[in-house]
Amino acid sequence: MSAGAGPRAAVLRLAGGLVIAVAWEVAGRASTSLLLPSFLETMRALAALLTGGALWRALWASNQTLIAGFAAATALGIPLGLALGRWPNPARWADPYLNLLLVVPTTALVPILLIVGGAGFAARAAVVASFAVPVIVQCARAAVRQVDPRLLDAARAFGATPAQQWRTVRLPAALPSLLVAARLGLARAVEGMVVVELLLVAVGIGGLLLDFQGRFDAPSVYAVMLVVMAEAATLTVAGRALERRLSHVAVDRD
Amino acid sequence: MISIVGCRKTHRGDGRQPPVPVLDGVDLEVRPHEFVAVLGPSGCGKTTLLRILAGLEGWDSGEVRVHGRPVSGPGTDRALVFQDFALLPWATVTDNIAFGLELRGVARAERTAVANRLIDRVGLNGFARHYPHQLSGGMQQRVGLARALAVEPEILLLDEPFGSLDSLTRRGLQEDVLRLHHETRKTVLLVTHSVDEAARLGDRVVLLGPRPARVIETIETGLPRPRPDDIGSDRRFVALKEHLWNRLKALTSR
Repeated sequence: MSAGAGPRAAVLRLAGGLVIAVAWEVAGRASTSLLLPSFLETMRALAALLTGGALWRALWASNQTLIAGFAAATALGIPLGLALGRWPNPARWADPYLNLLLVVPTTALVPILLIVGGAGFAARAAVVASFAVPVIVQCARAAVRQVDPRLLDAARAFGATPAQQWRTVRLPAALPSLLVAARLGLARAVEGMVVVELLLVAVGIGGLLLDFQGRFDAPSVYAVMLVVMAEAATLTVAGRALERRLSHVAVDRD
Repeated sequence: MISIVGCRKTHRGDGRQPPVPVLDGVDLEVRPHEFVAVLGPSGCGKTTLLRILAGLEGWDSGEVRVHGRPVSGPGTDRALVFQDFALLPWATVTDNIAFGLELRGVARAERTAVANRLIDRVGLNGFARHYPHQLSGGMQQRVGLARALAVEPEILLLDEPFGSLDSLTRRGLQEDVLRLHHETRKTVLLVTHSVDEAARLGDRVVLLGPRPARVIETIETGLPRPRPDDIGSDRRFVALKEHLWNRLKALTSR
């Protein structure tokens, strides 16, 4: 995160956006391809989308999947990661599988998941969750491993029970990393949301994209992608802001 | 009060490293209200001895008793002050001091009142709402001391508490500890590798040999209580230091 966000940085960012827009416009006009609309065409399509109802209905449908999937991923991944980090010996057996999950492109697993679970809301949410879970588990595990053993000694010396050690030391110490886990998981969940709809179940945003593609309406396709990017960016920025706010009270930054 | 007879301990190796004998039959007796300084070369196992007394570690053979009962874990009658302070970085000075009370389920209002009294007592007025990283090392250790006093232990266990402080700060804290001992008459067991500190603070100095540690010599300092400010020029003090120095030198140059 660029901390030096003064008026100068804002001007620079705006200038950067302008350069991209102009280059896009020039490329779009020069090209005769149907698949590369110009910047202005895309903006017109975006305006039409934002004022119409289809985009919002699609966003609503997709985000329900996102929220449900992400909530499930967090509810499952954080306790699992914490447990694996706390008891590393049993965790050793899970290691190769977890690493595999982290490396394998989840996209490749989507068809299998849908064959098993069908194409309903729960199955889509499960796909979203499966995108987010591995990174959440790994981050949560690292978070609890990094807890300063001297603090745990102090807690034990003053008579903390195992439950109190979690509440007073492990969880507060892990909190900043758990927030990072959630933010990275959310980014992956957005990916999962788009992928499941594009690949297999044409509802929501994915359905909208396929629909526009079928009609060779390239400006609208690009406009929808911009909307998805904007949502992802907004979620990330919001996540970072929340992290900073909580870290401020929760952690020592020496 | 504290009675250790023939305490042996070997740190088990982890397969690659061979087991390391740490304590080789340590005998130590501490009377109520006494201030005993355990002096030994770095790495001789004196911290292990203190951790055993605090209930953080077990031992292999021999007897370790407090109030005649074998130590079986941390207890409310003992409080440990750590070399590296081990304060909770996300908690204020007040909350750190009240930590032990919180673990015992004391209500917030009451533990805050106790913390405030101790803040006054250890000279941290105006810093109640500060976080550890906003304090100097000396102030952090005052918090560590206050945290130990807050649980009203009969025995204070000090693990090289001033080792990481500059000499001026160290002297100030030593005087505070002397004053606290004089006022509260708590039993104090101090572990240190500083000849000056052992002689300056202890009623008795217990000299440990290099690892695996055994008690080489126990010396009644015979210095007056309360210690006068000019103890540094007292001939008995100077002679005691000289003697301890020579013994330590002989022990470590074998």
